[in-house]
Amino acid sequence: MRIPCPYCGERDAQEFVYRGDAAPVRPAGDDGFEDYVYLRDNIAGPMREHWYHAQGCRNWLTVDRDSCSHAISGARLARGGTA
Amino acid sequence: MADDFALVERSSLGLATVMARKDISAADIGRALGMPMPDGPFESTGVDMSLLGTGPGSWLALCEKPGEDWADGLAAKLDGLASLSDQSGAYVVFRLGGARARRLLQQGVALDLDPEVFPPHRVAVTMIAHIGVILWRCAARDAFDVAIFRSFATSFRQWATATAAHLIEA
Repeated sequence: MRIPCPYCGERDAQEFVYRGDAAPVRPAGDDGFEDYVYLRDNIAGPMREHWYHAQGCRNWLTVDRDSCSHAISGARLARGGTA
Repeated sequence: MADDFALVERSSLGLATVMARKDISAADIGRALGMPMPDGPFESTGVDMSLLGTGPGSWLALCEKPGEDWADGLAAKLDGLASLSDQSGAYVVFRLGGARARRLLQQGVALDLDPEVFPPHRVAVTMIAHIGVILWRCAARDAFDVAIFRSFATSFRQWATATAAHLIEA
């Protein structure tokens, strides 16, 4: 599987660290913080997820990927805050 | 064999990482340094220094003949715009040349290094044999520079030597 890094270009998934579902939002207080850190849905089908380009530009990416077909429809830097 | 591959260490280089502060653009830093700044994975060359794009808002500065206070001088120019960290001892930079340099690299790099796709001054932060590298094509199209963390340099050299030997036999 190759991930289209917006800075580096298309790269092998080996260069990345997988984080999982990008949907959870950091809670303001302690309530729900454990769930935010540890609980991730395991979605079958199209999902939005986080990948860290550890062996490249060292940035977090938000990637739209279908977890059944591995088809990737988009990737952007997560730092923009656009989820 | 010597015509096929040549691996030479570029010694006594000045190296430093440059990381832009929040909301500071590549152009802002370029103005402070008086040279064009790469806004992507490219190398740009100034009077006595070149800059390699290694990530959004981050660069590796490289100086061929650094004076003793080179990094301090650079940090002073970038005060308030970017953080600078002297890396002169952290990396070893190898120049890989020879007629089959690209053939050798393609044994380890999972990227297309054809000059149409990876022309001179194009930079890639990637890995070779599980070793993190900063790789760029030199102005002379047949040569590549590879920056490797110093403690991995021996392993990289072993990989290059073994791979070259394999290619010669094949």
